[in-house]
Amino acid sequence: MDEDIILNFQHVTKKFPGVTALNDVSFQIRRGEIHGICGENGAGKSTLVKILSGVYPHGTYEGAVIYDGEELKLAQSSIQEAVKEGIAIVYQELMLIPTRTVGENVFLGKEPVEHGAIIWNKVYAETQAILARYQLDVDPWAVVNNLGVGKMQMVEIAKALSENAKVLILDEPTSALTKAEVEKLMEILRTLKQHGITCIYISHRLEEFFQITDRVTVMRDGKIITTQPITDVTQNDLIRYMVGREMKERFPKGNRAPGDVVFEVEGLEAADPDEPNRKVLKGVSFNVRKGEILGIAGLMGSGRTELVTTLFGEYGMATKGKIRINGQEIKPRSAHDAISSGLSLVPEDRKKTGLVLILSISRNISLPNLDQFVKFFSINANAEMLASMQQAKSLTIKAPSLDVLVETLSGGNQQKVVISKWLLSKPEVLIMDDPTRGIDVGAKYEIYKLMNDLAEKGVAIIMISSELEEVIGMSDRVMVMCQGHSTTTLPVDEADKERIMALATGVAVA
Amino acid sequence: MKISTPANIQTESIWSKFLQSVRHNIQSYILLVAVAVIWGIFFFLTNGRYLDPQNISNLFRQMSVTSFMSIGMVLVIVTGGIDLSVGKLAGFVSVVVAYLQFYVWFDLFPGQVVLPAILSVICGLLVGLLAGVVQGYIIAYLGLPAFIVTLGGMWLFNGLLLLVTQGKTIAANQPVFSDIGQGYVPPIWGWVIFGLIVVALIWNVFNSRRNKVKYGFTPRPLYLDLTSVGAILVLIFAYVLSVNNYKGIPVPVMLLAIVAVVIAYAANNTRFGRYAYAIGGNREAARFSGISVSSLVFRVFILMGGLCGVAGVVLASYVGYGTIAAGTGYELDAIAACILGGTSPLGGVGTIPGALIGALIIASLTTGLQMLNVQPAWQYVVKAIILVTAVYIDVYFKKHR
Repeated sequence: MDEDIILNFQHVTKKFPGVTALNDVSFQIRRGEIHGICGENGAGKSTLVKILSGVYPHGTYEGAVIYDGEELKLAQSSIQEAVKEGIAIVYQELMLIPTRTVGENVFLGKEPVEHGAIIWNKVYAETQAILARYQLDVDPWAVVNNLGVGKMQMVEIAKALSENAKVLILDEPTSALTKAEVEKLMEILRTLKQHGITCIYISHRLEEFFQITDRVTVMRDGKIITTQPITDVTQNDLIRYMVGREMKERFPKGNRAPGDVVFEVEGLEAADPDEPNRKVLKGVSFNVRKGEILGIAGLMGSGRTELVTTLFGEYGMATKGKIRINGQEIKPRSAHDAISSGLSLVPEDRKKTGLVLILSISRNISLPNLDQFVKFFSINANAEMLASMQQAKSLTIKAPSLDVLVETLSGGNQQKVVISKWLLSKPEVLIMDDPTRGIDVGAKYEIYKLMNDLAEKGVAIIMISSELEEVIGMSDRVMVMCQGHSTTTLPVDEADKERIMALATGVAVA
Repeated sequence: MKISTPANIQTESIWSKFLQSVRHNIQSYILLVAVAVIWGIFFFLTNGRYLDPQNISNLFRQMSVTSFMSIGMVLVIVTGGIDLSVGKLAGFVSVVVAYLQFYVWFDLFPGQVVLPAILSVICGLLVGLLAGVVQGYIIAYLGLPAFIVTLGGMWLFNGLLLLVTQGKTIAANQPVFSDIGQGYVPPIWGWVIFGLIVVALIWNVFNSRRNKVKYGFTPRPLYLDLTSVGAILVLIFAYVLSVNNYKGIPVPVMLLAIVAVVIAYAANNTRFGRYAYAIGGNREAARFSGISVSSLVFRVFILMGGLCGVAGVVLASYVGYGTIAAGTGYELDAIAACILGGTSPLGGVGTIPGALIGALIIASLTTGLQMLNVQPAWQYVVKAIILVTAVYIDVYFKKHR
C-alpha cells in the first residue's frame, strides 16, 4: 500500500431517528486526485459532506474519518474548524452576499484587522493573489450581483480556498452552469489539481465525471456500492450502480401523434422593461402542435429565459411580433393573462418562482386553481384536497400526507408538486423551463414519462433545457436559440449534438 | 375477559390519540396557557379581585380597540408588509367622529340621536377606508415600501388630528352613539347569543363531517371534534356567565367577535386569504401562479383602513371624547399582539385567533399591573420582559417540536 491516502473513511455510520443516512461507509480518497461521488438523492452524499464540514461533529456518528494521517475530530458547530484543517466546501446553492464586492466575500468572516479596523488593501491584494494563483478571471472589486453564475462560482471557490486548503469539496457545482461555464470550471479544477489540491466532486451530471475525475465512488441507500477508476466504467455502468437496476433507456419513448398547431410565435421581439433600448429578443418564431414536445436549446444568455418570461408576460416588453393560441392572438401582460389564455409554466427555479415552500403540498397544488373550488366566495376544502390527492397520486409524490410543508420534500418531489399544480389547471400549452434541473436519475425518468403521457393526451409541451441529450431524447422537434434569435426548428432525427451546438454558438447558420 | 380486553385497548388508544393531538397542537395551546398563568398570578396578587365580573368585563372591552387593528395587521404582516399608521389613523377617525357628533349633527339634526350615530359610523368607516385606499395605492401600485408610506401616514394623520381638534378635547358622549363603545348586551340576550353559538358550532361539526364523507374522506374521530368544540363552548360559557354577573357582554366585544369571525373565515376559506398567505410565503411564486400581487396588497390595506375606521369609532364612543392623544402608540400594541400570537414578521405565517390572544395577553398585563398600582415606569419594564420572553418560548417550541 504505497498509495498516499488523504481521507480514509472507516466504517462510518450515521443514523437519524427512523433512517440510516450512512451505513458502514468505508472508502479512501488519494492525495491530489479528483474523486467523483454520485448517487441518487438521499443516497447519503450530503451527509458525507456534512461530516467533513463539521455540521455533524465528531461523536455524532460511528466509525472514524482519518484525515492526513490523523483522526478528524471536529467539535460542535465547527464549520470554521474544518476550514482551518484545510477542508473547503463549495455548496450547490451559492452562499455569497450579492450586494458586496468579490474581495469582501472572499474574506467574509476572516477579515484582516488592525486596531479593530479592516485593512481593505490587504483584503483586495490577497484576493487578487488567490484569484491569480488559480487562474480565476474575476475582478476583486466587482460587486457580486453584477457577475454571471459562472463567475460567482469562481468567487465561491476562491472563498473556500484559504492558504492551506488541502481538500476542496464541490457539491453539485454545475447544476446552474451553462456548457461553457462548466468547461471553464473543469479547467479551474485541473489547475487546482496541479497545485496539489484534492477534489471531491459531487454531481448529477454523469458525463462530467468522465471529463474530469480520476476515480468515482457510487453511493446508494447510504452505502458505498463501488469505487473505481473512471476509465474502467461507462455511463450506463454508473447509472446501473446508482439505481440498482438495469436502466435500459434514459428517455422513455412515447407514442405521440402531433396534431394541429395550437401555439404560434411569429417574429417576437422584446426589450428589457427597465432599459427599453436593450433588446432581449430579436426575432423569435416557432410553433407547437397539439400533442407535441418542442425542445428549445440554447446557451445561457441566448434569450431562452427571456423568451419564457416574455411569453408569460412577466419580464420582457414585447415590442413586435405575434403570439397566438388556437389562432387567437394574445398579449399577455402578466402571468395572470397568460394562465387564463391557456398557458402554463413550470419555471426554471422551483424554489424561487415555482413553490411557496412554507405552505403545504395541497395548498401549493391548488394555488393557481382555486377558482375551480370556489362557491359563493368560499373555497370547498374537501374538493380542493380531493383534487390535490388525485394529482399527487398520479405523479407518485412521496410524502406522509399532503398537509406537510413543501420545504420538507426532496428536489424531485418538489418538482412533481410544481408540475401537479399546473396539470390541475389543465393547460393547452405547457412550458417547462429546465424541468429536470438538480433532480436524480430516477425522478428524471418519471418526469420524462409524465411528459410523454401529457403529450399523448394532447397537451402541447415546450421544453427548454440546458442538457442537449435531454432535448434530443425527449423532443419531436428542436428549436435552437442564439443571441436572442430563433435559428431554425429541426425535426429531432436531423438534430444531433454537434449540429445544435453549431447553431447555438452561431457557428452554423440555418 | 375476552369481551373486556378489546374495549380496554380501545379506551387506551382513544386516550393516547387524544394526548397525541394535544401534543401536536401544543403551539396553539401554549398561548392560552400563558393567559391562564398570567390570570392566575394576578388572581393571587389581587386577592381574587382580578377575576371579578367587572374586571373581566373591562379587560375585554379595553382590548377591543387595538384588537380591531390587530386583525387587519395580521393580514398586512402575512403579506410581508407593516402598517405604522393604524394608531394615529384610528385616533384621527375618533376625533373626526367626535367633531361630527359635537358640532355638525347637532346643528343638522337637532334632537335626534339614532341618525347621527349611524352617520358617524358610516363617516368613520369611510375615512378609514379612504386612508387605506390612498396608502394601499402608493404601496401596491407605486411600489414604495410599506414602512415608509405608513410612517408618513402616521405623521400625516397626527397632523390632521391636531387640525381637527385645534388642540382641544371634543365631547362624544351623546346617547346611542356612546352605546357603541360603552353599552352592554342585556344578560338575557347574552344567553340567547350563547345558545345560538352552541347550535351553530354543533351543526358545523356534523355538517363538515357529512361533507367529508361525501368526498370520500374519513373524518377524524367524533369525540375529538366534540372535545374541541366543547372546550371552546366552555370558555364562551364561562365568559358569558362572568360578564352577565356584571352588566352583560360589552357591545364592542360583541362587535369584535363578529368582525374576527368574518375575517378569520375569509383568511382561511377565500381566495383573498389564501393568496395573502401565498404572497407572504413567496411573492415571486405567487406572481407566477397568476396571482395579482399588487391588487391583493391594495385590498389588504383597504381592509386595514376599514378596520382602523371601526377602531376609531369604538375608541371615540368608548372614551367619550376625541383628544389630541387619541390612538398614540396603538400601532405598536397591535403589532406586538400579532407577533405574540405567532405571526411571523417575515410574512406568510399568522392567524387571527392567535393575534386576539396576543392582544388579550397585553391587555391582561396592563390591567393587572394597574390594579396592583405598579408605577407606570415599572409597568413598561414588566411588559417588555414578558413580551420578549413569550416570543422566545414560542420560538423555542417551534424549534424543538
